[in-house]
Amino acid sequence: MIGQVLGHCRVQAKIGEGGMGIVYRAFDEVLQRDVAVKVVKKDARLGSSGSQNLLQEARASSSLSHPNICTIHDVGETEGELYIVMELVEGKSLHEMCRDIGLPPETVIRCGVQIAGALVRAHDRGIIHRDLKTSNIVVTSDGLVKVLDFGLAKQVGDRDASFEGPTRSFETMQTSSTFSGTLAYMCPEVLRGEAADYRSDLWALGIVLYEAASGHRPFDGRTGFELSSAIMREMPKPLGPPVPPGLWAIIQRCLSKEPVQRYQRAGEVLAALEAIQGATVFAAATSAERSEPQTLVLHSVRHARVRRGDYLLLVGTTKGAFILRSNINRSRWEVGGPYFHGHAVYALAYDDRAGQHRLWASTQSFWGTTLRSSEDFGRIWTNPQEATIRFPADTGLSLKNIWQISLGRPDEPDVLYCGVEPAALFESHDAGETWSFVRGLFDHPHRPRWVPGNGGLALHTIVLDPADKHCMYVAISSGGVYRTNDGGRTWSAKNRGIRAMFMVGKYPEFGQCVHKIVMHPARPERLFLQNHWGLYRSDDSGENWKDIANGVPSDFGFAMVAHPRNPACVYIVPVESDQFRCSCDGRLRVYRTRNGGASWEPLARGLPQKQAYETVLRDAMTMDSLDPAGIYFGTRSGQLFGSRDEGRTWNKILEGLPAIVCVRSAFIEDGFGHSIAAPRIAPQAPSPSRKSRTPSHSRRKKR
Amino acid sequence: MPATFHIPGPLREFTGGRASVPIAQSPPNLAEALSALWKLYPGLRDRIVTEQGQVREHVNIFIGDEDVRYTGGLTSRVSAESNISIVPAISGG
Repeated sequence: MIGQVLGHCRVQAKIGEGGMGIVYRAFDEVLQRDVAVKVVKKDARLGSSGSQNLLQEARASSSLSHPNICTIHDVGETEGELYIVMELVEGKSLHEMCRDIGLPPETVIRCGVQIAGALVRAHDRGIIHRDLKTSNIVVTSDGLVKVLDFGLAKQVGDRDASFEGPTRSFETMQTSSTFSGTLAYMCPEVLRGEAADYRSDLWALGIVLYEAASGHRPFDGRTGFELSSAIMREMPKPLGPPVPPGLWAIIQRCLSKEPVQRYQRAGEVLAALEAIQGATVFAAATSAERSEPQTLVLHSVRHARVRRGDYLLLVGTTKGAFILRSNINRSRWEVGGPYFHGHAVYALAYDDRAGQHRLWASTQSFWGTTLRSSEDFGRIWTNPQEATIRFPADTGLSLKNIWQISLGRPDEPDVLYCGVEPAALFESHDAGETWSFVRGLFDHPHRPRWVPGNGGLALHTIVLDPADKHCMYVAISSGGVYRTNDGGRTWSAKNRGIRAMFMVGKYPEFGQCVHKIVMHPARPERLFLQNHWGLYRSDDSGENWKDIANGVPSDFGFAMVAHPRNPACVYIVPVESDQFRCSCDGRLRVYRTRNGGASWEPLARGLPQKQAYETVLRDAMTMDSLDPAGIYFGTRSGQLFGSRDEGRTWNKILEGLPAIVCVRSAFIEDGFGHSIAAPRIAPQAPSPSRKSRTPSHSRRKKR
Repeated sequence: MPATFHIPGPLREFTGGRASVPIAQSPPNLAEALSALWKLYPGLRDRIVTEQGQVREHVNIFIGDEDVRYTGGLTSRVSAESNISIVPAISGG
């Protein structure tokens, strides 16, 4: 055969032999490429009609074009020699790779995804493999999986009633005396004499995954009878660590004895494998430790592909953070995450000052609280060896949580602030490298008499006066509002007129449970305040507060945001009471005032109005500075809502998240180092014009 | 045989993936054994103890099978062959 020409392929060397035929390396002299040519064995079982059927089947399979399917280029018959010209795949078979010991779970999943992808394509074209096995799957040196011999089994198999199987790999099966080949991949219904269908391939995929993960096939027998009995009756031996439970569950379902109990489509297996792919394994057992019971957790993180010009929502939950990406139209969202599995993320911020693109997050778990940052939108997060925010030894206190990350003023790009629990303020003047404890606030004589609210004793809000570099406000629950006019050296309580319903004297100097304060940057002497019972406005930098709960269903609530342009416009989400911290009457409604609190209007179009007992926590609402402005909020039940038209209409963006505790928005400027302008969104225009309407866009980001 | 720390999965990113860390010195008590551990892997310290040096509320440390909360805390005696396990407590929700 060497040197012969089959079609337009010159045969060069024998590279394998199997039950179905001999495989040669050949050179296609017309298309000038290396190929593999399989010359089908002349076999009594393959009569002339069988040859024709095989040719027909090979032609059908040649229509399959998929990166994980070995392409069939041509089929033909010359002088009684039936041959199939196919893509030359160089690599190792999965059978060789996993022999005896199995492959690491990540490799098994990575291969499984590619095999399932190949099956999806073939099944969509009506082609069943019928002979999927580890020796028919080749992995190239760069990890690309190629499934061989698609569809070729059918005709041979139909004529072969024995259990020796329709084909044997050209790499392994050499004799017909062993049953270790194809029979081991045959599903129970085919052994019962029923026809193979797509689900037979999914059974075989289960065997392939089992073998790849463990190095052994799930069913064994010394004879064909024993093996087929095992396939039909026995349950596979469970695979424990290092095989993650998610992968074992997928294998088990593929190996359901009844086809109706398996996945019904290859796409379902593909989706299941993808869901556990890209996973990080922790607490994985090393071989030396396998004697101990191990917890093995496999979690996957998807990354949103953030580009300049994108719009982001940063969502912190009690169990991790998510990054949602959209374009400026904000109608479709790609969800990245979860980041920081199992950690509560109470504070998030996006810092775009001085041309940077940095995300900040606080993470809290029983391993402590850490401030972390990412410069590539979440792919890599810092995880400092030593906690950067720490209480000095003489305080005797230790950090419980970081509730707020605030950026300094735009012209101080290295300045950052953190509000923490127990209530204290930290500041950084080197872009978060090091942090110092704001001693002036801690030393305030009121501090020992601040008491924890329901969420702990937290300094949760930091508001900077954009006009006065020495002036800033903090809000403490329960302590009240404090203001400094000397850059933090001294502080004074600013709570005159604010109620404290839980105290005997209802209007104390301090001790109020303030839930949120907001300031409009264009009018820094005006502040709005959502209290633990009470809505207030101050027009004199917090010296006096006036009750503005005019026409709201409840003046209890947590979240409050200010409109980016209208200093008389503020949004809140009232909840019924401190006893029942849920939206009033089961109707989720945002309330807005556009006249400084003289009246409030409900904004409910698109929000659930029946049995919606929701809570929006203090940092779970945010507003951007686009025009019209977008407003977004998350609920304790894990639903995320958004409005692109300043609250007139709402859409549910996402549901099913853990309890949402923080929502922030970010517009990723597409220039370099320029301050972000707020694009005005024309109602019908897909691409925004970039009018600079807001002088300090980045100030809005830090809310 | 040196005393050996057993590191839980979530903290192995600070030990280069090592599940067990032997301490070459022979520390007399847990506080000194932990100090030796921090010297080898500084990232572990702030995850296991607070900035005030107290073992975090939901982190348990066992010497052998004994929870050190009942054997003297950081003053618990450590012997050359002690197996010291750091185990996250039942927690979460």
